[in-house]
Amino acid sequence: MVVGELAESVDLLILGGGPGGYVAAIRAAQLGRQVTLVDRAGRDGLGGVCLQVGCIPSKALIELAGAVHRTREMHAMGLSADGVSVSLERFQVWRAELCLDLARGVEQLLEAGNVSIVHGSARFNKPDRVAVRTPQDRALFFEFGQAIVATGSRSIELPGLPFDGERVLDSTGALALQEVPESVAIVGAGYIGLELGTALAKLGAHVTVVEALDTVLPTVDASLTAPVLRRLKALGVDVRLRTTAERLEGGELVVRDANGEVRVRADRVIVAVGRVPNTNDLGLAAAGIPVGPDGLIPVGGDMRASHRIAAVGDVVAGPALAHKAGAEGVVAAEALSGRPSAFEPAAIPAVIFTDPEIATVGLSEDEAREAGMDVRVGSFPLSASGRAGTLGERDGFTRLIADAATDRVVGVHIVGPHASELAASGTLAIEMMASPYDLAGTIHPHPTLSEGLHEAAELLLGHPIHVRAPTLTSKGSLHGHD
Amino acid sequence: MAPIQFRLPDVGEGIDAADIVEWQVAEGDHVQEDQELVEIQTDKAIVVIPCPATGVVTKLCVPAGERLPVGEVLALIEPDASNGGQPAFAAAPVEDDPEEAEMPSVEPAGLRATLPAAEPSPTATRRPLAAPATRRLARELGVDLTVLSGTGPQGRILAEDVRAAVAAQAPAAVPPDSLGRATPPRAGEVVPLRGVRRAIAHTLTRAWQEIPHVTDYREVDATRLLETRRLLKQRALDRGDETLALALTPTPLIAKAAARALADHPYVNASIDLQREEITLHSEIHIGIATAAAEGLTVPVVHDADRKSIAEIALEVAELARAARERRLRPEQLARGTFTVNNYGGLGIWLGTPIIRPPEVANLGVGAIRDRVVPVGGEPAVRPILALAVSGDHRVLDGHTLAAFVTQVVGLLEEPLLLLEDLR
Repeated sequence: MVVGELAESVDLLILGGGPGGYVAAIRAAQLGRQVTLVDRAGRDGLGGVCLQVGCIPSKALIELAGAVHRTREMHAMGLSADGVSVSLERFQVWRAELCLDLARGVEQLLEAGNVSIVHGSARFNKPDRVAVRTPQDRALFFEFGQAIVATGSRSIELPGLPFDGERVLDSTGALALQEVPESVAIVGAGYIGLELGTALAKLGAHVTVVEALDTVLPTVDASLTAPVLRRLKALGVDVRLRTTAERLEGGELVVRDANGEVRVRADRVIVAVGRVPNTNDLGLAAAGIPVGPDGLIPVGGDMRASHRIAAVGDVVAGPALAHKAGAEGVVAAEALSGRPSAFEPAAIPAVIFTDPEIATVGLSEDEAREAGMDVRVGSFPLSASGRAGTLGERDGFTRLIADAATDRVVGVHIVGPHASELAASGTLAIEMMASPYDLAGTIHPHPTLSEGLHEAAELLLGHPIHVRAPTLTSKGSLHGHD
Repeated sequence: MAPIQFRLPDVGEGIDAADIVEWQVAEGDHVQEDQELVEIQTDKAIVVIPCPATGVVTKLCVPAGERLPVGEVLALIEPDASNGGQPAFAAAPVEDDPEEAEMPSVEPAGLRATLPAAEPSPTATRRPLAAPATRRLARELGVDLTVLSGTGPQGRILAEDVRAAVAAQAPAAVPPDSLGRATPPRAGEVVPLRGVRRAIAHTLTRAWQEIPHVTDYREVDATRLLETRRLLKQRALDRGDETLALALTPTPLIAKAAARALADHPYVNASIDLQREEITLHSEIHIGIATAAAEGLTVPVVHDADRKSIAEIALEVAELARAARERRLRPEQLARGTFTVNNYGGLGIWLGTPIIRPPEVANLGVGAIRDRVVPVGGEPAVRPILALAVSGDHRVLDGHTLAAFVTQVVGLLEEPLLLLEDLR
């Protein structure tokens, strides 16, 4: 520490190079701002958890596992591919190159905007000042005009199961596995746990999922999770609900359910019980920024926490999703640059890469009813979809929820292959207040899974083509019969 | 960088002070050069003063409602550094140490109370029915969508609805009266003399006390004038120029005739300064068009009217009238008039007595055109008759000098073809 070192004056300082921070940096640069971006991993950290150890590597692993699995499943279609083998070691090399390549892409975008990238951990020590500790233990000081906090979140640790990087892993460790473990226990049946569990099961591991609640994917409507549970069962995944993980004992995980302690085979334990915002070590009090008991920073619709400091992504309320962080980053950059801007989406889509995939946008049927809407539902089963048949994946459906009073789509829920790719058109329909007639009147290409949206709209309107005439269920919803 | 001291500019002839009507920016706002800064009311009109530089408004020196002399500081503006970024921060001596960074909390008192509440998680319920592009437009135009009713299907708010709301927010909704107040005065109330009304009062007192008015009244056969106007209007419509067709009232024809005659009668296009004992004969012909605005009579100017076509004058007069109604006349649009045309015929007035606006020396009043029975070739005939009343400053204009000018104007109005005489 060099005493008396002068602080460098910077215009806009961004803490964190993840999907919230780097997107904010690019937009701010577009608006003529001089941006300095601090990330604790420097250039190698660009893209954040999402790119480095989250969305991207997990989807790569899921893709690999899915390919292996489908190759086996396509036996019925005439494919014989005996002796399919997987090297996670090779996968990790490939994956590292992919992540590096994507991070370099982000770096080039930032460089194009003349964004300075600083390697180190930042901490506020005044309302307009940040100290950055570099990996060489030097301290740099920045006096900023404005700042954006985009420091993201980290995995929650369980007291009885501290992460050790060997036996007990967080999602980052799980995605870095060099070989497929013979047995894995996954603690937490949220989307991270189920995605990893499904992939590892497809790669040949014996997987047990331990969940304290009485349901998997607690944020998702039960009707959407049913096909996922069926598939997990078919993959031999042992899902134990109302069960808590206690401790490791020898090669086994001790869990507790209603009948007492049970031992679960587990070469590795992956703990995915949630994430906590990275706000406790930022000196936010010194910056005059309050932090809630949940670790979240309260912000206004323009993402500002104070006149000069904004916060985006996992450190503020809302789902911890990369696309939400990026959208907030754009708003923060615009608002701090004097532009009228606000984060006010009609819907934030959520996609889950289980098997089959789940995509949800907008209101569920129950939420729409609770909101006092005149609810209409159209649900089109994948079993009636030609394209789903060719994929050999016929378990799932597309459900459209509309408010008859305002004649608009308010929710789109899809379970099925590539549901994640269909989420955007549902989101667009909601943002544009599309009438179900708009969807029914839009030609969807055949043969694709997107036809599900079209058919669900036709069903909702009472005149479907590819399922039999609907019947009114007790809830007033229209469900097709294939 | 030192802030710019932006002083109240001289916005018009003889104006020594202005009332601050409304600031269009707040302290701390980042402003662009030429952005609207403040609305002021001079003795002639309400005008909007643009921002002189791009930067941050650090201080508004006068609250709205106050009167400020010309040349006094209106606002302080910290211009942007040349690199377009923030002004450099002074480097302060540093005693910071990351180890000691766990400083005593300096959270400002009351911060929590003033922080905006975290936005509730977005849902599709209870939100304005507006698409993202419309919401963005509303933010940019400062329109609150939650109080807007949409004209789209089932109340969807369309971009047009947002724009309509902006138009409705313009002064048209509740025009302030001539004293700048939004509510009509009640009988028994004592109303202070302010702004445009004060200016009108002072100017007319001076005009009536100082200027010996002589008024030349004429009856003009407007048959050919109306015919010409009809032809020009039809021609504009044939070319699909509806704007021009609407703008082609008799006023631009009369202004054109006056400009033509002024070129031949320099003493009518003049001003007098009794202190210096001189008469200035103006080389340029700038015709003020008396216009009724909510605040009171205002006189925007068509500059170089002698060098403009009838169509150009028509469009300019229409635009000036619109700007006057919408209170967005710029200072230069009110300045440098050398003669005034006042068409009060639309108010139903047959014959009026125009009062001269000093330092000008003449004012041409135009009454209503009415069908009258007049002798034509010894027989009674019905003709559209226009009553002209031209007041002249008798100190400058003798009866015959004024009459010569008016006679030429009458001739041009009775036979507008003579305006072709200008053609080169």
